[in-house]
Amino acid sequence: MGFLQRSANMVTYEWRRALAKKKFYVLVILTLVLQIGLFALFSYFFTNPPPGFVGSPLEEMKASMWLVGVLGLQGLFIPLIAIVIAGGSMSEEYERGTADILLSKPITKMEYMTGKFLGGLSLLGFVIVLITILGTTLAYGLFGPQESIQFVPVIYLVLLYSNLLFFSMTFMFSEVFRRTTLSIMAVIGIFVASLFIGGILSMMHLMTQEQLYLEISKWLPNWSVSNLPSFVASELITAPESPFVSVPGGDIQLAAAIIAVYTIASILIAALKLVRSDVTKRTG
Amino acid sequence: MSPQSVLAVSNLTKFYGDFKALDSVSFAVEKGWIYGYLGPNGAGKTTTIRTMLGLLRPDQGEVQIDGVNPAKNPVHALKSVGYAPELPTLQTFFSGEQLMEFIGKMFGLAAQARKARIKQLLDLVGLKEWGDKKIGKYSKGMVQRLSLALALINDPLVLIMDEPTIGMDPEGTAHFRNLFTSLSKEGKTIFISSHLLDEVQRICTHVGMINKGKMVFNGLITQVLETFTKQWVIEAELKTVTKTMITAIKNLDYVEDVKVDENKLRIELKEKKDLRGEISSEIFKRKGVLLSLNLHKITLEDAYLRALKGDQ
Repeated sequence: MGFLQRSANMVTYEWRRALAKKKFYVLVILTLVLQIGLFALFSYFFTNPPPGFVGSPLEEMKASMWLVGVLGLQGLFIPLIAIVIAGGSMSEEYERGTADILLSKPITKMEYMTGKFLGGLSLLGFVIVLITILGTTLAYGLFGPQESIQFVPVIYLVLLYSNLLFFSMTFMFSEVFRRTTLSIMAVIGIFVASLFIGGILSMMHLMTQEQLYLEISKWLPNWSVSNLPSFVASELITAPESPFVSVPGGDIQLAAAIIAVYTIASILIAALKLVRSDVTKRTG
Repeated sequence: MSPQSVLAVSNLTKFYGDFKALDSVSFAVEKGWIYGYLGPNGAGKTTTIRTMLGLLRPDQGEVQIDGVNPAKNPVHALKSVGYAPELPTLQTFFSGEQLMEFIGKMFGLAAQARKARIKQLLDLVGLKEWGDKKIGKYSKGMVQRLSLALALINDPLVLIMDEPTIGMDPEGTAHFRNLFTSLSKEGKTIFISSHLLDEVQRICTHVGMINKGKMVFNGLITQVLETFTKQWVIEAELKTVTKTMITAIKNLDYVEDVKVDENKLRIELKEKKDLRGEISSEIFKRKGVLLSLNLHKITLEDAYLRALKGDQ
């Protein structure tokens, strides 16, 4: 039995642990209901367009509605699901005292952590698949044939990559604090602060035309997470008139690099903390 | 450490901040032994066990399980270890069978063997009817039984248990006592941390005693009794006790002291000898009517209390 098998065993464990939580289902159902609501609103809008909003642009929008389904919830709801999944990943084992049961078995701490991380991430990937399938299906069902649909898998992968940032950050806090509520609150705090500071920096940029404010705002975690999928969609889909992918000046490489930096740093900190400290007894 | 040692702890020291929880603890446990690890609350028993399993990082010293250090190579060292923690908290989202299945996979047991072993162990611990129920519905005693079944899933060479029968009913306690003895006869090494001295005295072959993080005794259970025995005591119950009889017995060369409780005499001897014959002759000589006469050597509890006081 090697590293992969032992880690894979932990992946299945992590799925069961996360799926046993009611708050996970509540959040996923809420997200899917919101998506349906969003499409219902658009459907109403297209059936009863405001005066002057008819003709060609409306038809082009209809043909790209799958992007609304796939990207529409990225700004807030998918990162929240990532935070909820990762929040208890490490800490719950300490809080409940089950870490002793797991780590007294023939498994290294690295295998344990890898399994937990990949388990949570694959579950997040599954939730994003659900959101993507529902969004694409609704777009087809309500608005007819969709254009550039072949890019759905690429956009899906980019979405998953983008959400690595908050997922791994929460995972790190879950190991460092060893308290689920504290780790979730810490990341939500960072998320909200990042939105707030980003808004102020954008405003200062608009007022002063100073580029530095904009550059600083790019290093806040929200910027890359929210924008990378749209940047990639803009690059892939050659329909510039599409209102959903018109994000000018998107720096894909920078956004991808920022996500990588946050993710790698978070994973390293979590690994160091796990390897270099005692397995604490029940803390909950 | 002997080359036959299956479990060897040498010079183990562990600090929690400024508090020295373990102070150069050393002992070795050989194949087939049932080693009782005794100590009062907070003595360092659980810290020793958790360090042995690699859950805690020692500040000094090391542990070897079958020649392998679990902190350095947990996969190799822990594959032949079964561990039942004190008052276990198990994953309540699993059923008993599911958790055993998962832990069996962690040990790399093949599917067929795993299935058979789970069935056998659930039967052994009396949870046959409960295997498919969620652990959240189990009573404390049932969780304890499941924890013992989990500790046995890999047919371990070394079984490490922290207060294994705490919270268990008397029937369960007796059942597991017999189980541990038979496992030891099969050549398995058993390490039991306990404060139930009677249990330890009944099943353990060897004893380690720890107090305030320091080992105060390590050796054969018979040796501990011998080491901490100052005297043997004869208890005599008579129909009536007279002052002359007490004085006469007190004056015997081999008697240290006599304590009286109504018609019972507690005669403390100077030597570790069975002197019941001499005492009964003395009583008959004084026309006493003897109802009972018992020799008390020493209990593990007496030895334990003396060991904690450093009183040899």
